[in-house]
Amino acid sequence: MDDTKNIKEHTEIIGASNIIGLLLETQQDALSEIERAEKNENDLRLELLGGKSDLALLAKKIKNVPQADRAQVGTVINQVKQTIESALSSLKARESVATGAKTDFDVTMPGILPPEGHLHIVSQAISEITHIFEKIGFSRVRHPEVDWDWFAFESLNMPANHPARDEWETFFIDYPGRPGHDPHKQRMALTPHTSNGQVREMGKKVLPIRMINIAKCYRRQSDVSHVPMFHQFEGMYIDKNVSIGHLKGFINFFIKQYFGPDRKFRLRPFHFQFTEPSFEVDISCDVCKGRGCRLCKEGWLELAGSGMIHPNVLRNGGIDPNQYNGFAIGWGVERTYMMKAGTRLDDIRLLYSNDIRFLEQF
Amino acid sequence: MIPDQVGDDRKKHMNILVPDNWLRSFVKTKATARKIKEYLSLCGPSVERINGTGKDIVYDIEITTNRPDAMSVVGVAREAAAILPRFGIGATLINDPYKLDVKKFVETHKREGAKRLEITTNADLNPRWTSIVLTGVKIGPSPDWLKENLEASGIRSLNSVVDITNYLMRAYGQPAHAFDFDRIRIDDITAVMKLRASRKGETLTTLDGKKHTLPGGDIVIEDGKGRLIDLAGIMGGQNSSITDKTTTVILFMQTYNPVTIRRTSMALAHRTEASSLFEKGHDSELVLPAITRGVELLKELTGAQTGSKLYDIYPSPYKPYPVTVSKAKTFAYIGNVLTDGDIEHMLKPLGFTTKLNKTEITALVPSWRSDIQIDVDVIEEVARMFGYHNITPRLPETEPPIVIPDSTLFWEQEIKIRLRDWGFTELYTYSMISENQMDIFGLDTSKAYKIANPLSQEWVYMRPSLWPSVLASVRENLHVTQSLKLFELSQTYHYREYELPAEAPTLLVAFTGHKFLEAKGVAQALFTMFGIPFPATPSIHDEYPKDWTDEKQFSLDKYGIICEVRKQLLGMVSITLPVTILELHIDELVKHAHPIPTYLPIPKFPPAVEDLAFIVPSGFAVGPLTETLKKVSKLIYRVTLLDAHNDTRTFHIEYLDRDKNLTSEDIRPVREKLIAAARSAYGVELKTA
Repeated sequence: MDDTKNIKEHTEIIGASNIIGLLLETQQDALSEIERAEKNENDLRLELLGGKSDLALLAKKIKNVPQADRAQVGTVINQVKQTIESALSSLKARESVATGAKTDFDVTMPGILPPEGHLHIVSQAISEITHIFEKIGFSRVRHPEVDWDWFAFESLNMPANHPARDEWETFFIDYPGRPGHDPHKQRMALTPHTSNGQVREMGKKVLPIRMINIAKCYRRQSDVSHVPMFHQFEGMYIDKNVSIGHLKGFINFFIKQYFGPDRKFRLRPFHFQFTEPSFEVDISCDVCKGRGCRLCKEGWLELAGSGMIHPNVLRNGGIDPNQYNGFAIGWGVERTYMMKAGTRLDDIRLLYSNDIRFLEQF
Repeated sequence: MIPDQVGDDRKKHMNILVPDNWLRSFVKTKATARKIKEYLSLCGPSVERINGTGKDIVYDIEITTNRPDAMSVVGVAREAAAILPRFGIGATLINDPYKLDVKKFVETHKREGAKRLEITTNADLNPRWTSIVLTGVKIGPSPDWLKENLEASGIRSLNSVVDITNYLMRAYGQPAHAFDFDRIRIDDITAVMKLRASRKGETLTTLDGKKHTLPGGDIVIEDGKGRLIDLAGIMGGQNSSITDKTTTVILFMQTYNPVTIRRTSMALAHRTEASSLFEKGHDSELVLPAITRGVELLKELTGAQTGSKLYDIYPSPYKPYPVTVSKAKTFAYIGNVLTDGDIEHMLKPLGFTTKLNKTEITALVPSWRSDIQIDVDVIEEVARMFGYHNITPRLPETEPPIVIPDSTLFWEQEIKIRLRDWGFTELYTYSMISENQMDIFGLDTSKAYKIANPLSQEWVYMRPSLWPSVLASVRENLHVTQSLKLFELSQTYHYREYELPAEAPTLLVAFTGHKFLEAKGVAQALFTMFGIPFPATPSIHDEYPKDWTDEKQFSLDKYGIICEVRKQLLGMVSITLPVTILELHIDELVKHAHPIPTYLPIPKFPPAVEDLAFIVPSGFAVGPLTETLKKVSKLIYRVTLLDAHNDTRTFHIEYLDRDKNLTSEDIRPVREKLIAAARSAYGVELKTA
């Protein structure tokens, strides 16, 4: 400010070099002030480039510069102005990054969501189960849901009127049969389990077999823990010298991958017509950590039925039980999913209610 | 509650209640109740629960159908005596009924007594008959030990005679019955008992007061006066049962043809513990020990005396048979090698006599284990005694088989994921629909698979189409929101004479509202995924019933349809909004899939673009014109509809020459051909300013 006063007081004619020196000093002062950033960009702009700024006052003095030097001084004035301008712009950019308050855009507005759809939990579970077993070489296959009694029962060591059939509440198809034709094709049932896939898979005549059969199954029952249609998955391994240890390894691999490393399982002796020996598979309860609670039987939950395939079943599938043996195991998809997720679903019928307020939760 | 649909429903397996102190009268062991529960469950019958404490402990045990021998206190005790030592806990079977001195009993009951039975029977229906008359019976309450044991195991104590028969059934697993001799005798010393198959329509009132009309072929006993006095194997007759005044008793124990018992019990819907035991086929060698013990108890507790000889009619006695299994197979199953000593220690306490050589195990099967028939049955016994918990888990060591994956399963998953990502929600509706739904949709019930024993009228036919169930779901959800985007991908069941249904995976996408072009867009995107060209015009083949679809429809021939649903049909299923449908037949898409695109080099020169607007008459179809324009010249790279407004259709044309930059001179003749083609084929003119 003192310099400016000096200019006003002392002289009418100003030499070019003099005024250029003053301009460069003004530029230096301005840049320092911008650098300190003690004032905001608006105020600085007014102070440094406004009508009453040093630069403006100096620019007015150009008329006191001899005519021949005016162009040169003019160029310098412009350069100084641009330098200050660009320093102010970068200050403004810094300010707006720091506060965000300078723009009109409200970043706290809700985002625009991509379309959100939902796979049914049965599809989700099937996909996860399929991927787990792929890793140990078990491939997913599909067999009929409406099948001959032969595949659903007879070939599984349960001839007509065998009491073991009572264990399944089976729907049958109103079909009179076709007398005189294939005795295995006289009666149709809705498969009450995925085990119909056992002899069908053997019938492909390719050994060894590592199969996962996942399908809809049907039973004549409906209450909070039963629906007339549900899904099962069936694992089957046929090879030479298959051991109970292989079944345990298969279960172990699945349980660790699907339920987590802490869950334990056990095999208990059981009885099915189509396996010998037969086992019930229990998994440790996640809610009480095996201590025993309302949900489980003293720390264990029943997970699956399993066993070593009965020699009669192998024979029915055209396999010599003295050459090959194997295991089979069947689970309920819904039950397995519900045990994993702790979803607190208390009525399995919800899964088939198709109420979007339910479906959209998954 | 977690659903119990795991692969089996075990309601036909029986649970029995076994009081701890009763169990310990047959097995001597220091094992605690907790250990008994844990170890039995691991190697034998599953102890599901321990009820009560201290002296009142009762085990709730599940017995599988193949083990009628274990459906008794001594049966469980035998398992305990075999299993507990495997865990280092001493246990010995005591009071084994098979060790009772039946020879002495037979010897002392050979001579005729004061009373006589005239018996006729049939070995097919009744392989073994035993009975004996006891006189001087004083009916009264049972002693406390008997009452307590019965009541702790869930059997009501009635009087000493009935309690003794129930005791024998629970302790040994041998059903027993007592007749009042005086109610059926024909004279002072003789009662007649004729066992035979019933005739259809005969009637009988059992001692629970139920009157049964017999289906015929049931096992019954007739007395000397032509009355039926026993529905054999199920329940005694009311007319011959014990009363407070009874003094002379016929104690009666048998085995029956299991198939006949089962048939009668099912036909009459009358199930008793006795019938459950008989229908599983139980041990004919148990009959004599049981009647020996029964007579002993009657004498002890009711003051009874022998009133007749022992009648024992048993034409083909049990002969023990051997079952042989190879050691190699046994060891492969359990993944461990066992010594001969190990194997003997495992099988002997279960009642097997074993003979071992270098390669084989031969087990002589005890009479109560008729479930042991083939080699793997013996392997089960060895394996469970070895302990499933001692078998090491392992994954298959062999190479995984080379399998051609089922591509339909792959594609179904791909479709589902895409639809989810496009904002659709997946339904799983039941595969069965009602007759009413079949009618509404005009589906032919004679060409459908009908359930012979439906659970409900809602679920009767295997659905030939997803429409009825998906539209029902749309309706059910309309009270939640009017804006629905739903899909289901499930099997439909198509009729084939004398064959199983053709099960066809089918996709049904349903939108509420007029969403024809949205539905078509989904179809186009899915066709692109399958690498199948999307048709420019609808197919003239259309198998859809005319009354399902609105005029807004686009038949995809064998692949399916895009359409809005006819209003009348919506009305019949109580939907008040428009609904748009896309249906696709997955098998056809999979069959024609060409999913791997052929590579086209990326153009070195940019396409030249321009927009051409045509004036079209009303009712004009833009699809064929687009196809025509695309084919006009090799230089036409892409033709897309940019805008459709009133009578104007504006196309965005991209011209491309892969070898050079196109000049306006190159393009002009092509443009002229485009305009000419549009004019000559469709009579449409270029819009000029």
